[in-house]
Amino acid sequence: MRSFSPPVDWSLFFGELVSGLTLGSIYALIALGYTMVYGILKLLNFAHGDVYMVGAFVAFFVLQWLGGPLSPAVTGWLAIAIMFAVAMLACGALGVGIERFAYRPLRNAPRIAPLISALGVSIFLQNSALLLWGPQFRDYNTFDLIGVKSYNIGPNFFISNVQIFTIATSIALMIVLALLVARTRAGKAMRATSFDREAAEMMGISVDRVISFTFFVGSALAAAGGVMFGIVFGQIFSLMGFTAGLKGFTAAVVGGIGSIPGAMLGGFLIGLTEAFSTGYLPGGSTYANLYVFALLIGMFLIRPSGLLGSPVIKKV
Amino acid sequence: MRKLLVAAVLAAVVAGLATAAWGAAKAPKRVSSASNAGSALVKCGKTRLIGLMAPFTGPAASIGVNQVHWANFFKNRYNKTHKKKIKFVNEDTMLGAANGTAEAVKGAQALSSNRGVLGVVGPAGSNEVKATTGALKGAGLAWVSGSATNTTLTTDGTRRGFFFRTVPPDSSQSKTVSGYMVNTLKVKRVYIVDDQEAYSIGLADEVQAQLRAKGVSVSRDGVSQSQSDFSAIINKIPRNTQLVYLPWQLPPKGKAFGQQMKTLGRGGIKLMGSDGLFDPLFSSLGNNVYDSFFPVNPSDARVAAFKRSHGGNSELFGAPSYVAAQVVTAAIDRACKDGKATRAEVRGQIKRTSIGVKASLLGLPVKFDRGGDMVKRPFGIYHSVKGVFVRVA
Repeated sequence: MRSFSPPVDWSLFFGELVSGLTLGSIYALIALGYTMVYGILKLLNFAHGDVYMVGAFVAFFVLQWLGGPLSPAVTGWLAIAIMFAVAMLACGALGVGIERFAYRPLRNAPRIAPLISALGVSIFLQNSALLLWGPQFRDYNTFDLIGVKSYNIGPNFFISNVQIFTIATSIALMIVLALLVARTRAGKAMRATSFDREAAEMMGISVDRVISFTFFVGSALAAAGGVMFGIVFGQIFSLMGFTAGLKGFTAAVVGGIGSIPGAMLGGFLIGLTEAFSTGYLPGGSTYANLYVFALLIGMFLIRPSGLLGSPVIKKV
Repeated sequence: MRKLLVAAVLAAVVAGLATAAWGAAKAPKRVSSASNAGSALVKCGKTRLIGLMAPFTGPAASIGVNQVHWANFFKNRYNKTHKKKIKFVNEDTMLGAANGTAEAVKGAQALSSNRGVLGVVGPAGSNEVKATTGALKGAGLAWVSGSATNTTLTTDGTRRGFFFRTVPPDSSQSKTVSGYMVNTLKVKRVYIVDDQEAYSIGLADEVQAQLRAKGVSVSRDGVSQSQSDFSAIINKIPRNTQLVYLPWQLPPKGKAFGQQMKTLGRGGIKLMGSDGLFDPLFSSLGNNVYDSFFPVNPSDARVAAFKRSHGGNSELFGAPSYVAAQVVTAAIDRACKDGKATRAEVRGQIKRTSIGVKASLLGLPVKFDRGGDMVKRPFGIYHSVKGVFVRVA
């Protein structure tokens, strides 16, 4: 008699898929900042995760300024749009400031110097947040702000409005970035600087301005990720940037650091790995990070340049 | 010029070290070693020092503040009616913060080395109690927690004679919880999610074993305390689950879990927390939320007085810390009868604690057994009605 394995639990599969895409959207936005900065400066900006945390806090305080989630002065979705705009602008400016004061003076120093400087900025931001805002969790109270709804789109397939919003917004931001890089003058300057900084400078491109612009865009995207985290998961805290930054960095490396589509792909891959390992692997909920970083190690072993990264050609 | 600079830096370093050494030499009331700390005589004086360890800040601050308020409420009442005063030496343990129990250990070390401190109220978490055992016991201090419920704290013998608590252990909580689930809620399918901390795992293990013994189908999972995204684990909870049990310590996390359950179409499943989630944040999730909590006599006049002085909030999670402060203070009073006391004497007096029903805020007498648990130790069950916990069993 032929035995049948139990039918696939599609409800679980769909649930983990949506969770993974939601989480992956946030990681992808962080990864983009890492990859853009690396592409231009060959610098691992370890402060990037903390910029993401600052973005989440800026949006939280904007929400309080607007009257809080229970009685916002504007409609819930407008409040969210304002939170995004202010957080992205503030973090963009923060990113430019970090580059100006922590990295630019070290541009011609040995490569280890800006790396240490980046770690220093990261710790500085974390501890400043602890000092200013305390270690408590802050609640976005998204339920009260926009009224979270969940839609049943099939037999036990649920997706909420905040999940749809997060995935759609991050994809939209990625498309805008792709267009910015591919179709605009600023994007062309970024590509030229990334390809050969000295040559770009000789062609009349203001490299300093391009680098500042890159930091602005990358930090603004990280801030958007921070706000999304607050909206989807409800709570933010001062040390949230560390793990998220690490995951974003992993996503950038898995996708191929320096490659913008690679960062997006890597972000979604990490998010999906985390969600599916929680759903299907033994001890997955507790050890999801083990599986995520195992993926990173595996990727290094099989394809050191990442999924979409180009292998480094050395002159011999 | 460079030589001058180096010399200046060296001079600054030497001056700094000298200042630190002078400060250390002058620092009063530092114990010389942990071994003789318990037997060192301390002049009791007019003001007696008690360590107060609680999460003043950090993820668990919302419940820590309740404990601090109740302990201070006791202090103020006591100081009004007694010539000898008590003073708390506060140590913030930041329960649930990213650096684990490090802050609690630092706090315990600071209290241990302060010879004036004769006893300690707190800390809040079972993991913190375990982590601070070395420092507090090594210094001969007795400590009385108003919320650490892990069963093994009083049964493994490690802290016997040093650690006491004014809350029942999880063995008592688990019996009440599993009994209520089976007999009153009539559930057959339960999903337990622990938060990987000693308190949570211990309680979850006990409830799981008791439910299985009663024929209930139990699934088990775990999350990290630092986790905020619970969607992946919620997806795993079968839709025919009748109750999800969260023996957690951080109410903001409990709230986030409940909200994400609603988002993912599982808002109809009953949610039950443990004493660590007894907080308005958790009860605000709705009418399908339950919780287990320590025995507190809500009709006690002191509860009414506390509410009046705290904006109408009873903050009952902190009430056992009032009793803990009461126990330590009474023990110090008895040990200080001759004007001097040792930490060992205070420990001995705590063992002999006997607070009658009328004087006890818990609505039951406070006496300790050999392990440091209260002899009588029931737990209560609460149900959220319009966002407020109401006792139902």
